[in-house]
Amino acid sequence: MRGLRRWLRLVAVVLILAGIVTAIAFPQAAWNAIQLPLFAFFSTTRMVIAYLFALVFAIAYGHTAATNKRASAALLPLLDVLQSIPILGFFPAALIFFVATFHGHPIGIEFAVVFLIFTSMAWNMAFGVYESLTTIPADLEAAAASFGLRGWLRFRYLAFPAAIPKLVYNSILSWTNGWFFLVASEIFSAGGTEFQRPGLGAFIAVAGRNGDVPSIAIGIGVLAAVVLTLDIFVWRPLGAWSERFRMETAPGREIPRVPSPYERFRWLPRLPKVRKRIIARVQPAVERYHRLSMRFERAYSRHPKALREIRRVDLALFAIVFVVVVATGLVGLVQMFLRPLPPNASVLPSAAVLSFSRLLVAYAIALVWTIPVAAMLGESEKAARYLTPALELFASLPATALLPVIVGFALLIAPSVGAAGQLAAILIALFSMQWYLLFNLIAGVRSIPDDLKEAARSFGLRGRAYWKRLLLPAIAPSLLTGSITAWGAGWNALIVSEYIQYAHQFYEVPGLGSLLNHAVYPTPDNEMLLLTILTMIVVVLAMNKLLWRPLFRRASTRFRLEV
Amino acid sequence: MSNSGNDDGRPGMLTDFHPFAKVSVGQILGLVEAIDEVGGVADVATISQEVEMDVDRLGPILDAAEFLGLMTVHEGDVRMTDLSRKLLSANVRERKAILREIIDDIPDFRMITDMARKAGRPLTRKEIIEALSAHVGSHRAADLFKAMVYWGRYVELLRYDSQSEELTLRTPSK
Amino acid sequence: MQVKDVAKSFFENGKEFKVLDLVRFDLSERDFVCVVGPSGSGKSTLLRIIVGLEKPTAGEVLFEGEPIRADNPQVAMVFQSFALFPWLSVEQNVELGLEAKGTPLEERRKIARKFIDAVGLTGFEDAFPRELSGGMKQRVGIARALAIEPLLLCMDEPFSSLDPLTAQNLRDEILQLWTNPDLPPKAVLMVTHAIEEAVYMADRVIVLSSRPGRMIAELEIDLPRPRNRKEPEFYGWVDEIYSLIV
Repeated sequence: MRGLRRWLRLVAVVLILAGIVTAIAFPQAAWNAIQLPLFAFFSTTRMVIAYLFALVFAIAYGHTAATNKRASAALLPLLDVLQSIPILGFFPAALIFFVATFHGHPIGIEFAVVFLIFTSMAWNMAFGVYESLTTIPADLEAAAASFGLRGWLRFRYLAFPAAIPKLVYNSILSWTNGWFFLVASEIFSAGGTEFQRPGLGAFIAVAGRNGDVPSIAIGIGVLAAVVLTLDIFVWRPLGAWSERFRMETAPGREIPRVPSPYERFRWLPRLPKVRKRIIARVQPAVERYHRLSMRFERAYSRHPKALREIRRVDLALFAIVFVVVVATGLVGLVQMFLRPLPPNASVLPSAAVLSFSRLLVAYAIALVWTIPVAAMLGESEKAARYLTPALELFASLPATALLPVIVGFALLIAPSVGAAGQLAAILIALFSMQWYLLFNLIAGVRSIPDDLKEAARSFGLRGRAYWKRLLLPAIAPSLLTGSITAWGAGWNALIVSEYIQYAHQFYEVPGLGSLLNHAVYPTPDNEMLLLTILTMIVVVLAMNKLLWRPLFRRASTRFRLEV
Repeated sequence: MSNSGNDDGRPGMLTDFHPFAKVSVGQILGLVEAIDEVGGVADVATISQEVEMDVDRLGPILDAAEFLGLMTVHEGDVRMTDLSRKLLSANVRERKAILREIIDDIPDFRMITDMARKAGRPLTRKEIIEALSAHVGSHRAADLFKAMVYWGRYVELLRYDSQSEELTLRTPSK
Repeated sequence: MQVKDVAKSFFENGKEFKVLDLVRFDLSERDFVCVVGPSGSGKSTLLRIIVGLEKPTAGEVLFEGEPIRADNPQVAMVFQSFALFPWLSVEQNVELGLEAKGTPLEERRKIARKFIDAVGLTGFEDAFPRELSGGMKQRVGIARALAIEPLLLCMDEPFSSLDPLTAQNLRDEILQLWTNPDLPPKAVLMVTHAIEEAVYMADRVIVLSSRPGRMIAELEIDLPRPRNRKEPEFYGWVDEIYSLIV
């Protein structure tokens, strides 16, 4: 704790000094920097609003999926698909929709940005809520039922607290995701127009386009400061606090003592009135929801036959609507394909292959460095203590914000302009993917029981044999989890990485991402936009179903460490 | 058997709170009941068999019971004392009162209650751990603190809020 | 005050798995009844049906002439795994059932304190479950059950997650509470696999067979209290039940 504080102080001093030096050397940049606090405030506000929506959504969705078997049959697969599609691809459509809805008013863009961030935050949180609610110990459920906890009381004392650890953990992930999309979306082209809202992301992007190095540095510095401040003052204390809500799995197992978050939050106003008012608002809503479902349940048990009839009619109606919708969609699609395809549609397969191979290269590089580093960090307390904070700081910077730096770097070392574009695209993908791998792998290495490691050593397993027989099999499940998330992030990174404007110059490499960019700007081509997105979704879903899912199933049965 | 008590088991002579670190009230009372049931005296092996606990787990409980003056251990024989007979016939409230007197006199425990009294304000966990570390070494301080909070709560002399990590004195209810 | 049980059996997904078959017994005031049986005798299922957490496939459970409901405040449950809410303090855990009943705060606190004191937990009101030893945790479970002042207290293997010493101490304290007629409940129904424990505590022991659970015997244990587990009469009962099961 003290070490961290000292470290922070050092960082702050360095930042301030750097700020003063740049301000003297580059007055124009200094002027820009004055607007930055305001920009930071705008960006953070967008994040907070999106997060609040995501939170409410996650609790409602997760709770419904966990408590209502009938609903979960539809909700879970839907969530699965939502989680795996590259949402950035849909952003142009969403942007145009919102802008049109608000007749071109800037508020429409704000809605679109918040909506995009929301979609990057909500799914994993909803899964977290669902998982926590379905893993509540049976006895605790029974206790709640037998002591008459229903509706609001059940939510307040059982469901909500039980969901807190996973909700907090996933919120941290969601915020990291959110920053990535915030930076990408504050300045965006769609339908032949460029839309921009004042914020840190737009500031960094504009600085990058102009090749204004000091502004890039300051912008990234401020973003890092905001991310870090939130991490230290909100997420770390919340993470420690959430430990209180963990279930004790076995009686007598020691729960790690957590530092008191009260210290950290003491500076916050307590606001008991606001809290009361919020509870007063939320409580009736939950009660009403509960009463409704109770009434439904009671009616259902009273007239099972009549209800079965109604359901059958319902189902038939639903089927009709479904068929009509799908049919119109199909007809539209067929019509589209029947028309001569746009001439550049023929490049789609090769673009997909190129994009995929770029991601594959980035993934391979990420694997090569993250596995040994994770093994080292997971096994040595000392290394972990010194290196983890630095890595976490680096990881908290979204790849979209680092984009200008990465391009600058690529230009520096690449022999030609074309090579620089390729290198930049791969590096951006790498920066979006590698952290998910690293942190999942560290967790995986840490979860290997000590006696297993000792047993391995005592049988003389060393070097390659140690890796082959213990380490790699043991981290296989976390490697897969990390890989799935990493690839998800990679597909989103494609969209920003293949068509980059830096220092008044365009760097472009062929691929799905650049096709998407060309489809929206400067001349909109909705047909190509749709085709590109479809191609991307087909590739992503195919990978999920044909590669990750079967691998995951195998890994979780064969390599699970039962403790 | 015991590394901190002496053979006649008078609590006043003992200084270290450490036998309590891993032992609960229920275990000590259960042990007293078990020995009473076999006639008030038994050797350690018999007790171990009787209560289906190996000596590893039984050891600390015996230590703590001896330390409290509830039994004497002499050449492997465990014998009940008058105090433990009194304890057996007492109800829940009276048991607490009896144990309270003993606990309150243990120097380690005294040190903390005196500290709290002198400070006249709630003590933080950190302060107490520091004070204990100086006394028993830092690797045992956390365990010792936990044991003190547990026993201090049981005999109603301490109040501890684990959220704010503050410890205050408490007047036992009658 | 009575619990009337007619007959029960239990099915599972499509196929019929008989877990319990035609179990019937009565429970009246001042009864301390233990249900013993080997694993697979469905004794825990029986208890869950009796408190209304599960529905029987045949037969019914009547409580004072009415079919039982899960949230019936006259029946309270103590769990093998304690089932305490880890995020609530001892006092909040004990108040839980009262809050669900809608008891006002002041009164709730008063009642909770009374039962916390009765189980010897005064001093631990603000503690969280993870700060307690196993025996203390189960005391919270018992105080929580007693606080709703039930007529019937149901306990599902309440001592089997405790070490032998703690368990014996807690058994004695529960028996001590039971002798106090001012405290609820009016009757106790306990499920256990430990025959000695059943003979030590109960007035009446119901013996179940295994797969499916059928009632083999219903025995009145007429030993005087406090019972001594070393006496030959005590062993006579234990042996008899063993011979019934094996």
